[in-house]
Amino acid sequence: MNRSHKKLVYFKSKDGFEVSAILTISKKRNDNELYSSPIIIQVHGVLGNFLTRGTPRLLPPALFDVGVHSLSINTRMAFMGQIMESAIFDETINDIDAAVKYLEKLGFQRIFILGYSLGANLVAYYTSLKNSNNTKGIILEGCSYSLPESQKARLEKWESIPNYEDIYESAKHLLGSDPQKSKNDKIFVVYRAWGPTFNPIDCEMFSYKTWWFMRSPEADNAKTYKLIDKIKIPILFINGKNDDIVEAWEPKELKKILTRSGNNNIKMRLIPDAKHDCMENPKTTIAAISNWVRKIR
Amino acid sequence: MEQELIAIPFNGGKVDALYYKSNKVSSDKNSKTAVIHVHGFLGNFLDGTQRFLPPILAKSGYSSLSINTRLANFGLFFGYGIIDDTISQIDRAKEFLLEQGYKNIVISGYSLGGAVALRYVAMRSSKKKYPYLKGVIALATPYSMPDSIRRRWNRWGSEPSYDQIYEEAKTIFKGNPDNTKEDRTIVVYKTRGNTYLPEHSGIYTYKTWWHLAGPQAHSAMCYKQIEKIKLPILLAQGWYDEIVDSQETYHLAQVARDSGNKNVSVFFVESGHSFEGNEKELGDITVGWLNSEFEE
Repeated sequence: MNRSHKKLVYFKSKDGFEVSAILTISKKRNDNELYSSPIIIQVHGVLGNFLTRGTPRLLPPALFDVGVHSLSINTRMAFMGQIMESAIFDETINDIDAAVKYLEKLGFQRIFILGYSLGANLVAYYTSLKNSNNTKGIILEGCSYSLPESQKARLEKWESIPNYEDIYESAKHLLGSDPQKSKNDKIFVVYRAWGPTFNPIDCEMFSYKTWWFMRSPEADNAKTYKLIDKIKIPILFINGKNDDIVEAWEPKELKKILTRSGNNNIKMRLIPDAKHDCMENPKTTIAAISNWVRKIR
Repeated sequence: MEQELIAIPFNGGKVDALYYKSNKVSSDKNSKTAVIHVHGFLGNFLDGTQRFLPPILAKSGYSSLSINTRLANFGLFFGYGIIDDTISQIDRAKEFLLEQGYKNIVISGYSLGGAVALRYVAMRSSKKKYPYLKGVIALATPYSMPDSIRRRWNRWGSEPSYDQIYEEAKTIFKGNPDNTKEDRTIVVYKTRGNTYLPEHSGIYTYKTWWHLAGPQAHSAMCYKQIEKIKLPILLAQGWYDEIVDSQETYHLAQVARDSGNKNVSVFFVESGHSFEGNEKELGDITVGWLNSEFEE
């Protein structure tokens, strides 16, 4: 394969969505060494993409520096997917699956998947359903216990307009009994979703359909605590010690569920001097990730 | 052709771009010429003309730099996507190309990006001061963004209406449209069609709307920009453009010619707004125009 260290690539998921991705490859002595060394698929967070500041942007070059390859993908939820493109949480796992298959086709045998924030919940859902022999483990960075409950608590905290229950009622009314097949959809803005002002920085936007499958009380696949017990491969949780979005108890509770289910290959690292984005402390984050993936065969 | 994802340092941040370096040397002038491509509404360098034109141009010896400006992706949703704030970003992209050894720079934009390209070249119209700037390409570009948006919203009966947004913006800004403290995000339904579906909706903040679509958004009134441009201009549009009326390109060309510019080329292709299905034809037109300007 082309050994140039950074390359923009495209591939399609099974339902036809085109995934764009940055493939970053560290030079190795030969093909055998190249394909048997760890490669990490990176999945962005809310409204993110592979160039979003913080982890999505900073992680691949930092991994490259320590000799770890990566494939940072733009799923259908990237950019404005949850607002303009009717990107559904449940269907986004097709894009992660396409990334795994893309790397397998290239010949990689030690694949890891890292999800950041929303991406962590997506990765958890994906690996609760699917696992190829070549996927050796997942890394969940800033993983919420449950996306719906997390948003509900946040909207209550800031006294959002509209509030969570009003959004739910509007969504039921608009989408009807079968939201998946509903021909209706509509964008809405939640003011004071992230802070106390009406300023754009404190608001968030969805379409009712994307909200339904990602944040509503019915969004079961975004309730990570309900499905994480099905994951049987090694997991590394990394969380900023000062995370102001995901509370400290959330990954701890997820870890307990995994332990109870019999998955004992779970590690948790709290990253000092970092909030939601662990790459605020790149040295510790990269050491935690690279040491962990190198140990897992 | 070599393709490289780059981040050009800019004011403490970065301008993200895809650099397409042509390896074909057909003439010295071609290989010294590079085109900067600016995306359309909510776009970025991964889609549309910014994605399909560079490889076509590279085959004929022209390199490209497709950039993400502050208007890319959801810049309009959060208050920072302002046309005039992209000017210094394009300047930085141009500097990058000059550092790579290019001598001739052409600015190309698609739809909203066409408005940005025209605004940029109008502000850099002095040949003496900007000798490397050789031409501008405006694809599917409206005669005036504010007029085009108002006409389209009125046609579909947008909710709220154009005039309502204008009144609300004036009230909120209290005479200062850069009063960002009071800014907020707004959704406008039925802006591109007769439904409430996301694809027919528009999202702005009052501030970004004011500077792009408001009646006083002079930077986005392309006819006011094009009359200042004395460099070669290529205008191209689809006959079946569902967003911008095909007469708008014709009228833009007329304004440029009436202001004394004798080098204005206009082409129409059998496509809609996005040129989908006619990518090669648009590529051939662009290469033909570049050849006519740059081949010795």
